[in-house]
Amino acid sequence: MIKIESLEKVYKTEEIETTALNGINLHVAGGEFVSIMGPSGCGKSTLLNVMGLLDKPESGSYKFLETELLKLNDRERANFRKQNMGFVFQNFNLIDELTVFENIELPLIYNKIPSAERKRLVNAIIERMNIVNRSGHFPQQLSGGQQQRVAVARALVTKPKLVLADEPTGNLDSSHGNEVMELLCELNETGTTIVMVTHSSHDASFSNRIINLKDGHVISEKINKSRTEELI
Amino acid sequence: MFRLNLKIALRNLWKNKGITAINIGGLAVALAAFILVMIYATYETTYDKENPNYENIYIVGRTLPEFSTNFTPPPLGKAIKANFPEVEAVGMTKKGGFEFPINNKQNTAFTTNYLIMDYEAAKLFNLKPEGGLVKPEGDEKHLFYVNKETMQTLFPDKKDAKPELVTIGGKTVGLTGEVGVITGNPHSNITFNALSVRRELGKGENYGYNNYNTYILVKAGTDIDALEHKINDLYKREQIKDGEDVQSARFKGSSVFLDPLKNLHLKPKAANDSSYKVIVALSILAVMILVIACINFTNLSIAQATKRAKEVGIKKVLGVYRYQLTIQFLLEILLQCIVATVFALVVAELLLPNFNNLFNVPLKIWNGESRLVFQLPLILLAITIIAGAYPAVVLSGFKPAMVLKGNFQTGRSTSWLRSALLVVQFSVAVVFIIGLLIITSQLKYMRTQDIGFNPNQVVYIKNLTYFTDPKVFEPVRERIMKVPGVQSVTVASGIPDGSENGTIGYTANGVEASIDFLDVDFDYFETLDIKLAEGRFFDSKFKTDTANSVVLNESAVAKYGLKNPVGQTIKGCDMDYKIVGVVKDFKTQGFEVPVQPTLYAIKNPCGNMKLELMVKIDRAHTSDAIKALKANWADINTKDGENFRYYFLNDLYGKLFQKQEQLQSVFFAAALLTILIALLGLFAFAKYITNTRMKEIALRKILGASDLQVLKLLNTSFFKVVLIANLVSWPLAYVITQKWLETFAYRVDMSVLPFLLSALATILLTIITVSVQAAGAVKANPVDALKYE
Repeated sequence: MIKIESLEKVYKTEEIETTALNGINLHVAGGEFVSIMGPSGCGKSTLLNVMGLLDKPESGSYKFLETELLKLNDRERANFRKQNMGFVFQNFNLIDELTVFENIELPLIYNKIPSAERKRLVNAIIERMNIVNRSGHFPQQLSGGQQQRVAVARALVTKPKLVLADEPTGNLDSSHGNEVMELLCELNETGTTIVMVTHSSHDASFSNRIINLKDGHVISEKINKSRTEELI
Repeated sequence: MFRLNLKIALRNLWKNKGITAINIGGLAVALAAFILVMIYATYETTYDKENPNYENIYIVGRTLPEFSTNFTPPPLGKAIKANFPEVEAVGMTKKGGFEFPINNKQNTAFTTNYLIMDYEAAKLFNLKPEGGLVKPEGDEKHLFYVNKETMQTLFPDKKDAKPELVTIGGKTVGLTGEVGVITGNPHSNITFNALSVRRELGKGENYGYNNYNTYILVKAGTDIDALEHKINDLYKREQIKDGEDVQSARFKGSSVFLDPLKNLHLKPKAANDSSYKVIVALSILAVMILVIACINFTNLSIAQATKRAKEVGIKKVLGVYRYQLTIQFLLEILLQCIVATVFALVVAELLLPNFNNLFNVPLKIWNGESRLVFQLPLILLAITIIAGAYPAVVLSGFKPAMVLKGNFQTGRSTSWLRSALLVVQFSVAVVFIIGLLIITSQLKYMRTQDIGFNPNQVVYIKNLTYFTDPKVFEPVRERIMKVPGVQSVTVASGIPDGSENGTIGYTANGVEASIDFLDVDFDYFETLDIKLAEGRFFDSKFKTDTANSVVLNESAVAKYGLKNPVGQTIKGCDMDYKIVGVVKDFKTQGFEVPVQPTLYAIKNPCGNMKLELMVKIDRAHTSDAIKALKANWADINTKDGENFRYYFLNDLYGKLFQKQEQLQSVFFAAALLTILIALLGLFAFAKYITNTRMKEIALRKILGASDLQVLKLLNTSFFKVVLIANLVSWPLAYVITQKWLETFAYRVDMSVLPFLLSALATILLTIITVSVQAAGAVKANPVDALKYE
C-alpha cells in the first residue's frame, strides 16, 4: 500500500544542518502493523510526520496506493489526509473546549458527513470503545487511558486506510497502555493498516514488523513471528 | 462545522473571561469615542445638505488686497442674474444691525439673530414658514417671521401656527405688525431667530454698499471656473461704470470668487478653515484610539496563540484547509467586535449629552437618515480585518507536526512584534498626556496672568440709545451713580470681550500707521481698573478732553516711536489730537492676539457710536445694585429703558478661553482613554507572560530568588517598552505642543516637567499593573507550578 523510496529530510538552523531522514526506503503492505523504533533523534517521528503529510521531505518518493503524494499541493494533501488517514498521539491532543462526543465528531464534520450519519457513527464507536458514559464529558474530566481511547476513537471514526500512532502509550501506565495496544491490535485485525512509532519493545511486540532506525537510516527490519503466525 | 467552531470560540472566550472582558471592554470604549466623533464629523460636514439645490448653490465673495470677504454689493447679484443664463436664481441676505425687542402685551423677545433676505434667497434655501412661503407684494411690504422658540417666549400658550399681532421695536416707537412662525434649521449656514423676507433688497444701493451676502443657484453641469471668470470681468466693468478709480490698488487687487455651499460651514474661502482642521484632527484622534484598541486585540490574540495551537494542529491533522482556519479566527474576532459594538452604542448614548454640551451640537445617535446604519458594519469589518488578520494568519499557519508534539512556543518574531505594538500604544498615550499637561498649564497661565484690566464686578448692560455725545450720557451717568453700590459708569463703542476694534490711520512723530481705535467716555479706564503709565486718564475737569484729548496704550507709543508722548500731537481723521496719557497694555482680545496699538478718544468723527454701558459695582452690593438698576431702568435710560438686560463682563471675557477649555476636555478624554486602553492591554499581556513563565519563576524561586527579584524580572521587559514609548513620543509631543503654543501671543514657556511627569506616570502605572499580575505568581508555591508542568 505504501512505497517510500530514497526519502531525505534535513532540518536547517542558522548554525547546523541535521539530517533526519537519510535515504529511507520503506514498503508497507495493506493490513500490516508496523512499529518503528530507534533511539531519540533517529528520525522516527519525522518519518511518521512525512507519512502523515504533516511534513515535507527534501527529496524522494512517497506512493500511497500508486498515488505520488509528494507532488500534491497543500490543499490536496489536506484532502488526502482527511479521507485516508487517522492519527493517535502520545499526548492525546484532544480539543479541551469540546466534549468527548464533539471531539470524535470533528473529523466527520470535516469529511462532510451528514449530521444523522455522524451521530450514528460516533455512537457506534463510543460504544465500541466502552466510553458511552463519558460522551458528554470534557477531556480534562477523563483519565489518561480514557483520553487516549477517545483519541483512538477519533482516529478510527472515519474508517481510515492508514492509522499513524506516535508513541500512543507514552503518557500511560502499563495497564492503560496495554488496553490501548489491544485496541490497536483489534483494529489491525479488522484490516486497518497501522504504523506506530514507539520506544517500548513491549508495545512493538504487538506489531508484525519492527523497523529500527538510526541516524536517518533503516538499520534493521525484523518480522515479529508470533504475531505474523497469529495472522496466518 | 460552524456550530462546533462557535462552541470552541465561546468556550474559549468564557475560559479566559478576564482577557475577553478587557478586549471587548477596551474596544467598546474606543468604538464609543469613534462613533461620537463620526456622527459629529458627519453633522459638521453636511450643513445644508438637506437643501435640494445643495450641489448647485454658490456664494459670491470678493478677494481684496488684504483679505477675502463674503460681503458683496447688491447691484452685483442683479447684474449676474441679468447677464448669465446658466445662473438660475440669485438671492441676497443681510444681517440685521440691531437687537430689537418684539412685544406682545405680556412678553418680550429679542431679535438676537436677525436676518433680512429677499424672496429669491428664501426660495434658494428652501425656507418654509408655516402657511407657506409667499412673495411679498410691493416693495414696502415685508414678511416678518420668528422661530418657534421665540414665538413660544412671546405666546407661551400658543398651540397653532397662525401669525400673531405684535409690536416690533420699543413700545413707544414700535410698529405693530404680523409675525409668522418658521422652523429654523440649526444644521444650516442660514440661521436666525427672526427673519424678514422682502421682495427686493438693496434697491438704489451702488457698488460701495458691501453689506450683503449674494448666493447664486447655477444650472447643473455649469463650468464654475468659467462662470467665476465671467462674473469677475462683469464686476470690473460694472465698477468702472460706477466710477471706481481704475488705477487704485483696491481696484487692481480685488476679484470675485465663487465658493460652493458645501464648503461654507467648515472651510469658507473668506475665512480660515480652523473648524475644518479641528474636524480632521478629531477624526485622526478617533482613528488612533480605535487603532490602539485594535492593537490590544492583535496582541492578546497572538499572546493566546499557544492555547489555540493544539486546536489548530488537530484540525489540520483532520484535514482542515488553512483558509478555513483563517476564516474561523476572523469570525471569532468579528463576534467579539459585534458584542463590543453593542456596548459601544450604549456607552456613546450615555456620553452623548456631555458631548453635545461640549461641542454645542444637537446630535443623536439614531435618527431617520443616520448614516451610522451603513457605516457601522463597514467599520466592524475594518476592525475585524485590522485586529484579526495578523493573528488569524499566524494561528492558521502553525505546523501541526510541531505543535502536536507539545514543544511549542510562540516565536521570537511575534514577541518582538507584540512589544512594538505596546510601544505604539504607550507612545500615543504619552503624546496625549503631555498635550493635556501643556494645555492645562497654558490655561492656568491664562487664568492667573495679569490681563491688565479687571473684568470682575463689571456689569455690561445692553442698550440701544446713542451715547456718542458725552453731554447726552451725562444725566444717565448721574442717575446710575445714585444707585447704592455703583462705583463707576462708562460707555464705549466696544467692550473688552475679545471683539476687534476698528482701525484708522494716524500720524505722529512723522510716522503714519493704521492703529486700532476705541471711542470711550469718562471713567472708562477707572471702571475697568486699567493701569496708568504716564500722564492722566480722561477727566471731566478738563474741557479739552471732550474735544481733542486722546489716551494711547504702550503699544501705540512704541509703534510711533514716541519719547515723552504726553503733550505731543497725533493726527488723524482731520483732527489734531493731544496725547494726555498713556495706559499700560491690557489684553482685551485674550492671549492669542498680541495687544494692538490702540488710541482711546472721547471725540472721534470717524468713530463708531457708543452704545455699550459698563457699570462697576461694589462686591458687597452686587445683587442689590442690579435689582435697583433693573427696577429703575426705565427712569435711568429714558429712551431705551423698557428692558434691562445685562451680562457680567468676566463671563463674556471668560468665553475667550472656551476653545482652549474645549480642547482641554478633548485631550483629557483622549489621554484617559488611550492610557486606559493601553493599560488594559498591558494588564492582559502581563497576565499571559506571567502564566507562561510560571515554571521559570518556580525554578528561580527554588534556586533562591527573592520575591523582589522575581517582580523585577517580570517588570524589566515592560519597563523597557514604556521607556522606549516615552522616548519615541517626546519629540512628536514637543513639536505638536510647540506648534499649538505658537498660536498664542502670550504663552507659557515649554518646560521639561510635562515630559518627565508623563514618563513617571506611565512607568508607575506599568509597574503597578505588571506587579498586580506578577504577585500571584510570586506568592504561588513553586512545587505546584512544576507539578502542573
